[in-house]
Amino acid sequence: MGVEFEPRIVAFMCNWCTYAGADNAGIARMESPANVLPIRVMCSGRVSPEMVLRAFRAGADGVLVMGCHIGDCHYSSGNHRTIKRVPLLRNLLGYAGINPDRLRLAWVSAAEAPRFVKVTKEFTETVRELGPLSQEVAHQEVRE
Amino acid sequence: MEYKNVLTTCVYCGCGCGLYLEVVDDHITGVWPAKTHAVSQGKLCIKGWNAADFVYHPDRLKTPLIRKDGELVEATWDEALSLIAERLGTIKAESGPNSIALLSSAKCTNEENYLLQKLARAVIGTNNVDHCARL
Amino acid sequence: MIEELVLSLVEGIRKVVAERLEELDGVVALRRSSEGVAPHVFRKGDDLSELEIAPRYPLMTVVSKLHKTFPDIRLGIVARGCDERAFIEMAKRDQIDPDRLFIIGFACTEEEAQECHCSAPAPQNLLVGTAPPPGPPNPVVEKYDEMTIDERRAFWQRQFVKCLKCYGCRNICPECFCEACAMEDAAWVEPGLLAPPFPVFHLIRAMHMASRCVACRQCELVCPAHIPLTVLYDLMRRDMETLLGYVPGTDMDAPPPLSVTLEEAPLRVAVEA
Repeated sequence: MGVEFEPRIVAFMCNWCTYAGADNAGIARMESPANVLPIRVMCSGRVSPEMVLRAFRAGADGVLVMGCHIGDCHYSSGNHRTIKRVPLLRNLLGYAGINPDRLRLAWVSAAEAPRFVKVTKEFTETVRELGPLSQEVAHQEVRE
Repeated sequence: MEYKNVLTTCVYCGCGCGLYLEVVDDHITGVWPAKTHAVSQGKLCIKGWNAADFVYHPDRLKTPLIRKDGELVEATWDEALSLIAERLGTIKAESGPNSIALLSSAKCTNEENYLLQKLARAVIGTNNVDHCARL
Repeated sequence: MIEELVLSLVEGIRKVVAERLEELDGVVALRRSSEGVAPHVFRKGDDLSELEIAPRYPLMTVVSKLHKTFPDIRLGIVARGCDERAFIEMAKRDQIDPDRLFIIGFACTEEEAQECHCSAPAPQNLLVGTAPPPGPPNPVVEKYDEMTIDERRAFWQRQFVKCLKCYGCRNICPECFCEACAMEDAAWVEPGLLAPPFPVFHLIRAMHMASRCVACRQCELVCPAHIPLTVLYDLMRRDMETLLGYVPGTDMDAPPPLSVTLEEAPLRVAVEA
């Protein structure tokens, strides 16, 4: 039989809130899934659609975009762009025939280490249920 | 300020798509596909869209270059053509016409290709003529 | 009948252009010559019998180029509804100076509105012709929600596999003026690969079109592979309206919602995070 599918998750985390929260989770020795590859950005607003799409192309089965809660952004309103951009991109994935649940937006502050663990665990399971992305897009030709 | 669009044919392949070169005050500023062109019907491939790029490219040759003492030096057309005629003549005399081959290109017009094969067969006396598309 | 209607439209337009050329440096419109029909800048004294209105080119791009090259030039443009929408979105992003542009708007024919599935086949600055009824929406877009996710994926994979990455869609788009284009950035779009399994190339464009696409349909017309790009972009336009209440090209005072704060352009729908 084959090896059980382990989802590969790329998580963009804002430096000031989520990355700090993730760090605190680690310090407190809370266990979060090893499936998650963290990418630190200065603000969740920096995460462009091309970054998310490239993550999928590079082999991510799921992508998390995480940042500060609205009103707490270190740059005031960087996350305002995130909260508009991510739903749009989720819809677009759905239109293109890729399950939108492979992309999730979550606000996690520096003080919310348990929330970081909860979100990453939940999302990993969601993506596990969905299966590998490569299966969904397998039958498109690649001409090199 | 003079703005015009000049219809021309893409040089990059034998398809011959129609495109307009957008010219503002004698400077090419862009490319428009020719929507009324029977062959290309308002569409272009990536080469056609960038067909004007070589015009102002810094690497574009503006004069013939002749190698003198191991270095390529600018020359006139008269100098270059005289050298070519002299050298081809010498090679043909020393090693025979079949030691010379001529390679043409899809970027040339049919008329230019006709002239080249005439040069090969009638002037130089060889059938060694080929074309970049066969490579 | 259509020919007569179009002829009277064109004659009406030529008349207005002649009047306006008295005070403008030039009018951007299509010109017919022995070589075909292409964008042109008519000057005072030019033969306006050469002025045409078809086949459509995105003429606002010409205005944008000239406004940037010649900071004092005052232009007019013979514009359809889509041209004016393109203008509004370009002016918001400082690509065109609205104070130096006079719009000579004319209405599309009913047939043209249908062909383009156009919801606004006449500009706000309408000077010639009467607005026809809006064209019916693209049936593929209308029935899109009924397609399963697998059907959608199969549909687009069949379409995107034809793509030759000519960048025609990006080149012809009036809203694509970025000097550094994400679609050309090797970090996101791998050079030398056609139709990668995950459609990064097309989805980047679709996301960038959100808040910009004015449904001029030039991208689909210029695609050598006949990919129905407007289906995807119409869906993005629908989302812009639902999520942010924004219709590109209609309101000069509405800021591009994706670039500004929630106070300036609020979400109309609750988003869970």
